[in-house]
Amino acid sequence: EEALLPAPQNISILSTNMKHILTWSPVIIQGETVRYSVEFQGEYERVYASESWIPISECSLITATVCNITEDISASVAYNLRVRADIGARRSEWGTLKGLFNRNTTSLTPPVMKVIADGYHLLVELEDMGPAFQFRVLCWKKGQERTMQQKVVKEVSSVVHLDTMEAGAEYCVKAQSYVEAINRNSNFSQTQCVRAQGDTSMWL
Amino acid sequence: TAGNKILHFGACRVSMSMTEIRAGFTAIKANIQARDPIRTLSILSYPHSLHKLNSSDRCCITHHLFNFYVDKVFKHCKTEDSYVNRKISSIANSFLSMKRKLGQCHEQNQCVCGQESSEKFKQILANYEGLNVTSAAMKSLGELDILLDWME
Repeated sequence: EEALLPAPQNISILSTNMKHILTWSPVIIQGETVRYSVEFQGEYERVYASESWIPISECSLITATVCNITEDISASVAYNLRVRADIGARRSEWGTLKGLFNRNTTSLTPPVMKVIADGYHLLVELEDMGPAFQFRVLCWKKGQERTMQQKVVKEVSSVVHLDTMEAGAEYCVKAQSYVEAINRNSNFSQTQCVRAQGDTSMWL
Repeated sequence: TAGNKILHFGACRVSMSMTEIRAGFTAIKANIQARDPIRTLSILSYPHSLHKLNSSDRCCITHHLFNFYVDKVFKHCKTEDSYVNRKISSIANSFLSMKRKLGQCHEQNQCVCGQESSEKFKQILANYEGLNVTSAAMKSLGELDILLDWME
């Protein structure tokens, strides 16, 4: 009788900025192509629907050892994930994620940003991190932290106008991302400073 | 953004990922409503619309309705379509998350149940139990936008 296929091991989730990727170690069988299938189970299924599992069609009988589960992890509850291996008619047991996964543990990074001095206008371009994200942008005149202003950016359009600068003065900006659905924010980005056009001596 | 909605029920504030739920429902609405042959009958809106409810009762009826969908409806909505099942799971797990938050309001007595909401909920259950369970569940799921519109 053919040996049972070993179940996939080292099943884990890499979750950054609300993108959740399931990965596992390959099952190695000399001269064979191993295929994998993934299923998920939310807390609702565990508690109210007889612990049923739901297949992810995009990750059924795939040869890769990664699966993007972002679309299915769409509530802030605890999810379970499992992976199985197949070679033709041979099938492994399910390998299951160690522990449950809740999206509120995703790691959040500060947005990539570009600060622009356009004449006397202080502008910032923010990375589009997806629909779940908003941004908190702080700007101030260099050396005068008490002049710090805050702007909350809910929709990432092309450029955001932050302030009108004094001629020749230097202004600094930093930003953090915020996800309302899990009520968490990232650390602040590196501070970036730019100088307005014109000459400060004009004011002497 | 994935617009969270902060619902205010008197002293109770509940944050809801409304956009995510609506996106999930919109993706399967036509499929679900096509499975409901009796379009003239409503579970949520018969005989009166939710909009007729007294605002002080909104928290209680919302709490009841989330329990209704989680406890009774979603489990009877399994289909042969894997994509539809995934979206139903997404909505069900979001409802579960919010049912819990609303439950906290209820426990802190910030979600008073007046006679009007109790009457309305009794009517909804009667409408639901007047059909066979699968038809009732599919119809209730198909009316989710009525609930979401009323909540927004």
